Amino acid sequence: MIPVDLQVVWQVMKWPLAACLLLPPLLVYLGLHVVKREVIFVDLALAQVATLGTCVALLMGYDFHDRISFWISLGVTFGAAALFSWSRSSQKRPVPQEAIIGITFVVAAAGVILMLSRVAGGKEELEHLLTGDILNVTALEVMQRAGVFVLLALFFATFHKRFALISSNPDEAFAGGMRVRLWDFLFYAAFAIVVVSFVRVAGVLLTFAYLIVPAVCAVMLAQRWMSRLTVGWVIAAAASLLGLTASYQMDLPTGAAIVCASGLLLILVSMYASLRKA
Amino acid sequence: MKIISFLHLSVLAPIAAWSLATSASRVPPPAAVIHVVATTPDLAALAREIGGDAVEVKALAKATEDPHFVDAKPSHIVTLNRADVLIEGGADLEIGWLPPLLESARNDRIATGAPGRIVASQGIRMLDVPSTLDRARGDVHALGNPHFLIDPINVRTIAATIAEHFALVNPKSADLFRANLKKFDATLDVHLATWLKQMAPFKGAKIVTYHKDFVYLAERFNLEVVETLEAKPGIAPSPAHLAQVISTMKAQNARVILVQPYQNRKTAETVARQTDATVLDMAQQPGAIDGTGTYFQLMDYIVTLLSTALQEKK
Repeated sequence: MIPVDLQVVWQVMKWPLAACLLLPPLLVYLGLHVVKREVIFVDLALAQVATLGTCVALLMGYDFHDRISFWISLGVTFGAAALFSWSRSSQKRPVPQEAIIGITFVVAAAGVILMLSRVAGGKEELEHLLTGDILNVTALEVMQRAGVFVLLALFFATFHKRFALISSNPDEAFAGGMRVRLWDFLFYAAFAIVVVSFVRVAGVLLTFAYLIVPAVCAVMLAQRWMSRLTVGWVIAAAASLLGLTASYQMDLPTGAAIVCASGLLLILVSMYASLRKA
Repeated sequence: MKIISFLHLSVLAPIAAWSLATSASRVPPPAAVIHVVATTPDLAALAREIGGDAVEVKALAKATEDPHFVDAKPSHIVTLNRADVLIEGGADLEIGWLPPLLESARNDRIATGAPGRIVASQGIRMLDVPSTLDRARGDVHALGNPHFLIDPINVRTIAATIAEHFALVNPKSADLFRANLKKFDATLDVHLATWLKQMAPFKGAKIVTYHKDFVYLAERFNLEVVETLEAKPGIAPSPAHLAQVISTMKAQNARVILVQPYQNRKTAETVARQTDATVLDMAQQPGAIDGTGTYFQLMDYIVTLLSTALQEKK
């Protein structure tokens, strides 16, 4: 255990804390959509495809931190976004969308392993992509993400009604003559930007946790979009604080500590929810 | 909605308390002993020999951890933040993990060029310095192979550098550091003579290693590394390359494979089964193997294990 000197604590943890409080709200919003659409693993699949894109960049000789490797990664992920919007819109197909998402995930994961076997230190690089490095996040990285997320939040807020309709009642959207495919692609493309830029600072596991756990808690505790969003953000913030504190006090890897803290909160929330029902 | 307001309070209260508590700045008291951080346990062991009671030494990487890849933890940043001296191997050994930690730690005492920053590779005659650089060739270090502490002659140089920097950082104990260095050098001379004698019968013996991490040992004791299990440094062994390693080992009669604790022993065992070789549990970090807490104990262990195996396979 590290002796607590608040000045040092603040110095070490302020940017991870900022990242964990400022960035999740948009993830929570997207999580609510994802839970509604029952495409829970779309995030893991997109994150894995993004990682695949990063590996392509690494193989081409670019460094992980080069700007170009971000764009390559994003481009590859847009491909997957197109695949997902197409697979969902084709209503009458007998193949459930979750199957396509699952297949995308495993093939991308295997592709990453194949590619990294040709990159120096591949195994460790793989682990890094999974667990991220939220502890060493810089002020610049947090600001950049915050900027992008605010723009995307405006985008989602502007078209919230359409997205909400497609997520909760796609049949009605189709019947109403909406261009569901296009809007679905826009949804997944924006989703991809959020996932790719967050995965690069926080890793695949933490991104998934922020996306799904607060949304699931929110669905259990509240009804309307706004209140769900609030509950979700509070849960995300609580998990962040709990995880960061545990990470500091017990000297644990930071990202994994936050993920486990969210798991713990989910258990508490579901106990509370079932008690309330009874 | 009651639960929401409750959660709000419980989340916001600690943040407020935290920012209040940290707004009052405090100056740390002057250190009685030098706080030394070494990136790896071998450098930490040297710092202890030279610093004695006048230093407190911590290593960031564990003895059983690959020094190329260390997972960042809050304690690393705290340790770096409080350090008076940082000893790094250099030659890009820690390039994947140390720079972001240093940035978070914000400590001018150990900034590049400060007396508190020791780069062990400076002053070492580096091996494997590449003529061209290309990521496709694997984890090639532009400044040469960073696994140089395994050569006792290099250790002598580094110990002197450490003593020099310690004296700069804490002039009051300069005499102690010089005396400790002298003692260390004398002990090293005695040991080195023994090690050279132990290894003398195996001049030109052929060995295989997992990574390119024993080239300095091989040079000091006149051994020849005929193959590495990794086709290129840092790239996992492929079946085709292992087949080639097996045929080289048979053709050149290489019968020992050196593997470190964090490397894949199973790969080495597979190769050893085909070539009637012995897999040796080697380590470059004191403490990675029981009973090797100091540099001398570690080298005793390595030389004894290696000479015994080479004797048996002769």
